[in-house]
Amino acid sequence: MSEEIKLMKGNEAIAHAAIRCGCDGYFGYPITPQSEVLETLTEVEPWKTTGMNVLQAESEVAAINMVYGGAGTGKKVMTSSSSPGVSLKQEGISYLAGAELPALIVNVMRGGPGLGTIQPSQADYFQTVKGGGHGDYKLIALAPASVQEMADFVGLGFDLAFKYRNPAIILADGVIGQMMEKVVLPPFKPRRTDEEIVKECPWAAVGKPKNRKCNIITSLELDPAVMEKKNLHLQEKYREIEANEVRYEEIQCKDAEYLLVAFGSSARICQKAVEMARAEGIKVGLLRPITLWPFPSKVLNQFANQVKSMLCVELNAGQMVEDVRLAVNGKVKVEHFGRLGGIVYTPDEIIEAMKAKIM
Amino acid sequence: MSEYTAKDFKKGQPRWCPGCGDHFFLASLQKAMAEIGIAPYDTAVISGIGCSSRLPHYMATYGMNTIHGRAAAIATGCKIANPNLTVWQVSGDGDGLAIGGNHFIHTNRRNIDLNMILLNNRIYGLTKGQYSPTSPRGFVSKSSPYGTVEDPFRPAELCFGARGHFFARAVATDAPGTIEILKAAQAHKGASVCEILQNCIIFNNGTHESVHTPEGRAKNAIYLEHGKPMIFGENKEFGLVQEGFGLKVAKIGENGITEKDILVHDAHCEDNTLQLKLALMEGPDFPIALGVIRDVEAPTYNDAIEEQIKDVKSKKTYHNFQELLMTNDTWEVK
Repeated sequence: MSEEIKLMKGNEAIAHAAIRCGCDGYFGYPITPQSEVLETLTEVEPWKTTGMNVLQAESEVAAINMVYGGAGTGKKVMTSSSSPGVSLKQEGISYLAGAELPALIVNVMRGGPGLGTIQPSQADYFQTVKGGGHGDYKLIALAPASVQEMADFVGLGFDLAFKYRNPAIILADGVIGQMMEKVVLPPFKPRRTDEEIVKECPWAAVGKPKNRKCNIITSLELDPAVMEKKNLHLQEKYREIEANEVRYEEIQCKDAEYLLVAFGSSARICQKAVEMARAEGIKVGLLRPITLWPFPSKVLNQFANQVKSMLCVELNAGQMVEDVRLAVNGKVKVEHFGRLGGIVYTPDEIIEAMKAKIM
Repeated sequence: MSEYTAKDFKKGQPRWCPGCGDHFFLASLQKAMAEIGIAPYDTAVISGIGCSSRLPHYMATYGMNTIHGRAAAIATGCKIANPNLTVWQVSGDGDGLAIGGNHFIHTNRRNIDLNMILLNNRIYGLTKGQYSPTSPRGFVSKSSPYGTVEDPFRPAELCFGARGHFFARAVATDAPGTIEILKAAQAHKGASVCEILQNCIIFNNGTHESVHTPEGRAKNAIYLEHGKPMIFGENKEFGLVQEGFGLKVAKIGENGITEKDILVHDAHCEDNTLQLKLALMEGPDFPIALGVIRDVEAPTYNDAIEEQIKDVKSKKTYHNFQELLMTNDTWEVK
């Protein structure tokens, strides 16, 4: 039955995919536009079927720290929220990264700063890929552009998080979270047994076997020499992730003379803009970063040898454009087009911006 | 006589659902402020996030619509920085007691001179119907479709546990009752908590049904007044008496009980034991306590700090820079 096509919201897809990929625990708190993740999970009652636990915490801070505790036991645990709530989680995220614990965080972005609006935005790019919390750390950041990817990236996010012992984040926005699309949910995967966790996570607080060496999970180290080593180890791990895990999609890029760069919901709108511009005879392509970190810098640098200019289209005042410019390193002109405050551009606006800014 | 009317505190058109308890409370707050007579420009209304936290937008006072749960901390900063302001902090049960629970207890403990309003409709309304920290065990909501498995907070217990000195309660639909406790809260120096029982017509309709109407309150509530015997009922036929470690409802005229046997309310009693019992009473065996339950004088944070500064200043041995240099051991270099 796993091949069955279903119609659902992106937020609901996250919830169903979590249950199906063997997630052990979800800790959340209501906030628009992502409350359906929590609501769907409590509705489906996975604790009665797979044994997955679902808890509505007293705050986003509590939720991320519950994730910290759950992750310490080697279990697959996750949380979801929207921008203001994800700001609250930054301390916990930094500690998770410092303690090298795998976990999945979902951010269904809305417009900021502050309380902002409940309408969609992509203004948490910086927060996601440039730190957010304190210290030299990185999150594996996946940017879904469809309800299908909302479902697929839950399993992928957990796999990457465990592979590298590093928190992963799904950076969606209000459009992807709220829109309904057809989706094929991933097949059911059983939750790992305690024995499997002992084997896969020798660091985890599992309590057995008796002869196992005690391990303290912490991000604290007062000896600067040891702390530097710890940091260098993290950096080494990040270089490995950068070498192995870059994901992106090329849409009509082969003969492109102009390149749009966009992620998530913006990429969906750009896809339409590409189609319309090509009908006018403009050879434009779209490069869609799927992993925002590690960023597809190499491929963008290569495209800089092919295209005349690039336009970075994002629902913010210009964030990913900085990474595109770094990747291109001055080879071609890179401009930014965005809308703010929860307003979403139309494909026409994007074409207009393209003509005005990069052609 | 106050030179203000409720109109002087009104601004804009509220964006709440028709019938929401927030409308009732807003009108009462504006009336209470007019009666108190403190100028709108000397008043700040500070909220966090939630339906009720839109309230500052509808007040012709200074206002801050701030961060989820942080209103008490922000109001504290406001009052400390500008003690001349009269500060009202308005939160819902989600804002005030979930993520804001920590700030709620510490603001009480610290005894900042704030009027803290807790609009309790036992639901998250703004995010469209999830259970809150005051939702009763077993409560069915969007995030608990099969009922919650958690016990709720009882705001009075938190306030008293945090050594709060003022706690009062009113029903939002009862304007005179609400205005009375708001005025008492303002008169009290220090942190004062007013719990307002209010209905969420969309997501938790009927949550305070038993005391929603005047008839309901006559039957199911008791209006407490300091120094008055605690008598209630449609015909004032019941009273509260002490039995063992607890309270008991007694019928006047039965079993030899006369009005003299009825406990007299003491809101000023430092020991909060009986006040807490009053605050925790609920139906069907007990009436819900309304009015000022606890109102005990204690030094406020601002007063205590000023006192300390005065004290330290009076004891210090230096009054200028030269004297300061000579305060401790001095050496002469030769």
